[in-house]
Amino acid sequence: MNDLRLRLEAMEVLIFLVILLLCSKSGQCTRNATKVIVHTADHFYEKMLSGKTCFVYFGNRVNPTISLFIEQLEKSADALEDYGISVAKVNCTNEHVAKYCTGEKLMKKAYLFRGGDVLKSFDIDTVFDVNAIVSHVLFTVLFDEVRYVHTTAELQAVETAAKGKTDVVLGHVQVLGLPEHRALMETAFVYGAKYQFVLTTGGPVLKNMGVEDPSSLAAGLWFLHCKGESQSPHADACQHTALRRPLTTLHIYTFLQLMEAPLVSEASVDPSEVKVLHSHLQVPLLFLFSQPHTLALDRVTAQTLAWRLRGQVGLVLIHRESPDVKTPLEYNAAYKLQGEGSEVKYLALNNLEEVIELFTDGRLPEEDYDDEEEGYENWATLDVLDDEVAESVYRDRGQSPDMDAVTELTSDTFHSAVAESVHLVVLFYVKWDAVSMAFMQSYIEVSILLEDAEISDVELAVVDCGEWTDVCSSQQISYFPTVRLYRPHEPAQIYRGMLGTESMKRFIMLSRLVSPFPLFTPEEVTSFLEGDLFQKHSAIAPVPVLGLFSSITDPGISVFNDAANALRGETMVGLFADRRAEQWGVEYSVTLPAILVSRGPEGQTEAHSLYLSTPEQLVTHIQKAQLHTFPELTVENLPQYLELKKPLLLLFVGAEDSGQESRGALEEMRSLLNQGRLDRYMPCWIHLGRTPAGKAVLEAYLGSLPILPALVLSHVSTGEVFHYPAGSPLMVQPILQWLQRVDDREELPAGVIGEEKWEPPVPFFDFLGVMDQEVPGYASQRSPKTKSSLSEREHKENRDTQRGICSSSERQFLHGAQNSNESPTTKPPVAQHSEL
Amino acid sequence: MKVMDSCLLIFFTLLLTPVHSFTDGNNSQNSTRHHDYCVLGAGPAGLQMGNFLSRCQRDYIILERNSGPGSFFKIYPRHRKLISINKIYTGRRNREFNLRHDWNSLLSDKPDLLFQRVSQELYPDADDFPKYLSMYEKELGLKVQYGVDIGKIRASDSASPRGRGYILADQHGLEYTCSVLLVGTGMWDPQKVQFEGSDLVEGYESIPVNPEEYKDQAVLILGKGNSAFETAQSILGRASRVHLYSPNPVRLAWQTHYVGDLRAVNNELLDTYQLKSLDGLVEGGLEEIAIIRNNEDEEKHSGIQKKRSSRKKEKRVQLYLTLAELLEHPVGKNSSNVTATNLPVYHNDNFSLRRPYDRVIRCLGFRFNFSIFDGSARPPSNEGTRGRFPGVTAWYEGRGTPGLFVLGAAAHSRDYRSSAGGFIHGFRYTVRAVHKVLEQRYHSIPWPATRISVIQLQSWLLRRVNEASGPYQMFGVLGDIILLRGSQCEYLEEFPIQALPQFPSLSGYKLSKNGFLVLILQYGLNRTDSLGPGRAESEWTRAWRSSFLHPVLYYYDTLPTENDMRHRPAGWPLPRPKAVHHMVEDFLTEWDGPISHSQPLRRFLEHCLHTDLRAFYAESCFRYSLTHRKPPLFCRQGYLRNHGVIGNSQLWHHAREAGLMPGDQEFASPDMDPLLPNYLNRAGASVSSSMNLDF
Repeated sequence: MNDLRLRLEAMEVLIFLVILLLCSKSGQCTRNATKVIVHTADHFYEKMLSGKTCFVYFGNRVNPTISLFIEQLEKSADALEDYGISVAKVNCTNEHVAKYCTGEKLMKKAYLFRGGDVLKSFDIDTVFDVNAIVSHVLFTVLFDEVRYVHTTAELQAVETAAKGKTDVVLGHVQVLGLPEHRALMETAFVYGAKYQFVLTTGGPVLKNMGVEDPSSLAAGLWFLHCKGESQSPHADACQHTALRRPLTTLHIYTFLQLMEAPLVSEASVDPSEVKVLHSHLQVPLLFLFSQPHTLALDRVTAQTLAWRLRGQVGLVLIHRESPDVKTPLEYNAAYKLQGEGSEVKYLALNNLEEVIELFTDGRLPEEDYDDEEEGYENWATLDVLDDEVAESVYRDRGQSPDMDAVTELTSDTFHSAVAESVHLVVLFYVKWDAVSMAFMQSYIEVSILLEDAEISDVELAVVDCGEWTDVCSSQQISYFPTVRLYRPHEPAQIYRGMLGTESMKRFIMLSRLVSPFPLFTPEEVTSFLEGDLFQKHSAIAPVPVLGLFSSITDPGISVFNDAANALRGETMVGLFADRRAEQWGVEYSVTLPAILVSRGPEGQTEAHSLYLSTPEQLVTHIQKAQLHTFPELTVENLPQYLELKKPLLLLFVGAEDSGQESRGALEEMRSLLNQGRLDRYMPCWIHLGRTPAGKAVLEAYLGSLPILPALVLSHVSTGEVFHYPAGSPLMVQPILQWLQRVDDREELPAGVIGEEKWEPPVPFFDFLGVMDQEVPGYASQRSPKTKSSLSEREHKENRDTQRGICSSSERQFLHGAQNSNESPTTKPPVAQHSEL
Repeated sequence: MKVMDSCLLIFFTLLLTPVHSFTDGNNSQNSTRHHDYCVLGAGPAGLQMGNFLSRCQRDYIILERNSGPGSFFKIYPRHRKLISINKIYTGRRNREFNLRHDWNSLLSDKPDLLFQRVSQELYPDADDFPKYLSMYEKELGLKVQYGVDIGKIRASDSASPRGRGYILADQHGLEYTCSVLLVGTGMWDPQKVQFEGSDLVEGYESIPVNPEEYKDQAVLILGKGNSAFETAQSILGRASRVHLYSPNPVRLAWQTHYVGDLRAVNNELLDTYQLKSLDGLVEGGLEEIAIIRNNEDEEKHSGIQKKRSSRKKEKRVQLYLTLAELLEHPVGKNSSNVTATNLPVYHNDNFSLRRPYDRVIRCLGFRFNFSIFDGSARPPSNEGTRGRFPGVTAWYEGRGTPGLFVLGAAAHSRDYRSSAGGFIHGFRYTVRAVHKVLEQRYHSIPWPATRISVIQLQSWLLRRVNEASGPYQMFGVLGDIILLRGSQCEYLEEFPIQALPQFPSLSGYKLSKNGFLVLILQYGLNRTDSLGPGRAESEWTRAWRSSFLHPVLYYYDTLPTENDMRHRPAGWPLPRPKAVHHMVEDFLTEWDGPISHSQPLRRFLEHCLHTDLRAFYAESCFRYSLTHRKPPLFCRQGYLRNHGVIGNSQLWHHAREAGLMPGDQEFASPDMDPLLPNYLNRAGASVSSSMNLDF
């Protein structure tokens, strides 16, 4: 408040007035849209003489900081107009006002004038925005009405003076110029005559108001009920009520009105009919029911309660004897939350604390002030599952899976089931894992399919690892869901394929075949390669692989056997180890040992020599050899092709227009491929009818769906996507030229592949933050001073109490023993033990 | 199961690297009385450790002074009812889970080696416990030497050929040497308090247990623990007045969640006290009281009384409680000089304990026997427990006695009055933890760990919180440690969390810069009215206010120091972490709700791992794989390894309705496109989706 001394000295004012008199010429303030008056020098002087309060800035708009300030100044004009204060600026570039348009202070200060006096000058750093301008200006104007206190003694002096006369409104803001300060000042402007306003910026005064840690409270407001207190020279503090909502003008107005409302209202109608001030102020109401014979006592109870809930809840005493009161006798209380539509809820309460807790413990929905509401909604949305698998399984919770279709194994039955079944497929799952439960549906579907196909040598079983934890531990299950295939006397085979019905079924069907399947005659070999030998399987294993060895004693056979075994369930593998195998070596011009990869009767058969040393290498080799050179990409096979890490040359073929054009495009691509000119790429195609997800991919690439068929080059590594010009014919030469242009960086990318980091989709719920806010200090490390751990401290306290009881004088001891004798584990009623 | 694996591993490492000090000891051995490990006492803790040592084929011996195991239980509890819960029917068959409600069995690999084989009672007879221990010892073939009463233990010089070790001398002067000494001697010495007349007090250890002997007697019991109440309860039907006196008010186990506090099984006296049926509880110091005997001489003071009382007098001793400071000078045994002014009632006519007693019984619990340890081998007594327990480190090694570990009830100083470390159902797990420490320190076998993908972490954590018995019984003490290593993590079970600052050396694992998680179970810190309204929390956002046992995860990016541990927030088991997650308490202790438990947990893990941990159907992974340089982790670890989750149309439908999968596309029907030429199919045969296509 020392700043307030910064008034211009009388001398300056005199000079100033002289200038005014000399230069004044009449002229109207020119108003612009923002209500900021742009003064000419003349207007300015005239204004000064009118005796009105005016907030003026002198300067010229030269830098961004100033521009920002001017913007805020313009905004504040509206707000200050309500208080009869005009806002003006003087452009010193055009006008010259002596003293204000010159000197170093120029542009860094704004001034508040009343009449010719400068009430105060402000650094524009202080009045940086609307709130700061309004709060500081009003604070200056109300200098005489709003008392500033810092110490308890100062507050006491105000209270003593106010006792019996007026109530006191104590506002606290840690920092001046913030919205809370403004709200307080605006209220003071309106209610200044009615109440004594007091402002503090923290410190000891807050402790008096019961604030434990003043530094943690940014702003607060208390109503000190001094008017009702008898005038006494004693320094007793007036009773006070705290505003428990953020400091906004609305909240303060409401609060002050509540303070004026009677502490307890009485009514003789049913709670739903009661109309009191509180209901208009959107404050919850608490109803207590009173009987005629206990009325006096009930009033006391109601008063006590009302004091404790003052400012938060309105209290109404309902005379139950009235015929209009329809509340059943079993209830002694009721409450009605704020808001028009809220219903009256009835309760049977046993003690006062319960009631207090009801309203203060947050068990009721909080009063809906804005930020709170926002927070609530925010966390409400967090209760919606955002994991597509978890959510879809959750939505399916009404339908329990048909577990009858599978065998549920236990610790008791697991081992015998493994020993007895020809093929035992076991799904290990936990029921809280959504992926397990999603797959469970597919698994059950497979079981039903197999049953329908009358396949009897395979049993599908499940083990709930949440219950049969010992089975899962002994089987070393570390991944849910896990599927294993057990055959007697063989190590369990882990299923590594897609977790879906078709893949699972294919695995089971193929696993029933021995791998490698031994072939003994050239006829069998031909039949195997053409898919005739296993007609039933050719649909699910369209690319059989045959190992050719010239002799049964070839050392490579064991490696091949291991590899084939590892591929069991995935690929159909045959083995022909015979002198006659040479004829295929000659036919395909490879040296044995070799593998033949057959693509059916009409497809090609490729031959690869074998020179790999380990089964693992051989498995990879066989898997690679089975890949197509121009595949149709599907959800299920994409991973195999992405593995090659080549740029994808993708032809998108539509679902509807797969006529001539698409066929032509595909043929062109094939001929390009056959020319060996696409080796650097992974040419492939997606049929949007069969793989609808491709549509979203295409859209993501190009921003919209182009005309189909569309050819796209997708560099997953660099993130660039190129689109083959829609107008150009999809033919060999233009495609090659286009690819060349892309290589030469002559084509502009049509899209970019996202480089999303896959951060957490939703922020986590910060319990530490909540703890710090709700119970400050609870989650903080203790300072090194308080060394003793909790238990040690407790112990010490115990020792202290022991000493207290027993050590001092005899009389005390006896009392001590007496009292402790009577002190049960629950707290005794205080009144009876007042001597404590 | 994991321990088993590590043991096998140990076995092989030993075969391969015989340079270890533990193995070369055998060569220089000329007597059989050296062992790598000596376990002192064949009680539950000793045998429990024996099981782990035996499984790892360690050179160990269990030394026991009595002729059978568990001799403490042949005497105590005096009234022969165990108050440890033996709950056989839990409605579950999960063996790990069932151990949460079986407080008597020891851990072993044999699934049926459980206490329920000897008793079906919820509160079993104490005689059944030694029976069980015998069975346990025999079926596991543990090496126990009975009748060896070790009277003196000293440390051998670290300059000796074996390095520092311990030398134990028995009653015949025979010496046993060992590198590591595991003390499982329990708590045998009755806790006593010295005051004037304390010799007139009988001890819990020697009182008669036949209630008839208390007929119409007034009894003052010093103590308010379970033994005091057990004693009171047994004589309630015979004694005239039973008063319990001790410094502190009764602590009820069902309020404090500490099983060492008064259990409801024993608390009938609370009933008779509160219903004013002659019994009562009084608080007051023990050191300051005095018990004086009133003999015939005193009757002289009032002649009328003398005549009447001498007629019916049958030498009944009357014991008065008074205050030491009311006695001007020490009173002799005959207390002939007791005057009325020596009694409190003279000064305070309504003094609660003014009536004389026929018996005063001390039920103050037990203390550790420090006397068998030579100064070189004696762990200090722990201050926090009034010196009753030896002071031990967070990994149960005696303070200042390297290589000497305290097991069992005597190791309770670490969690005195908070967790279950002083009880069988708690220390069976701490013994296992100590064994893992030994394996790492002396055999370089790191703490058993499971390597799992972070995608699986949520399921693993849920599995542990839903079944694990160790962290459940040893709440706030043993916790699972999850070392984060990018997309993988190492899962270590049941580490003593107070030893976190020493984690790398104790476990054999280094921390990565990704930090680590600690999973523990803990009770709420705000102890409200245990049976009152609002005692339970159900809203997950308010989980930290849960008052019942609930899982809590702490995330640290760096290892807390000892200083951090010391200054941890008041009442917390661990220092302030980088982030914390409370899983809201559950009435059924089943933490598997998708909304209340799983998803908040996933979000917490996502925060700690800085990555999206959601699961996606293969179709979504397909999209992300083609439109992102890197699809989400779930797709990378599953789908891209050909292990995606396909789902079915019903599930996709749900996901689309929820707006989580793009829903504007129609499903492909297999035969919608008959126009494409046949050869194209073969050319691009997609193994699965085209298999049914006919075009």
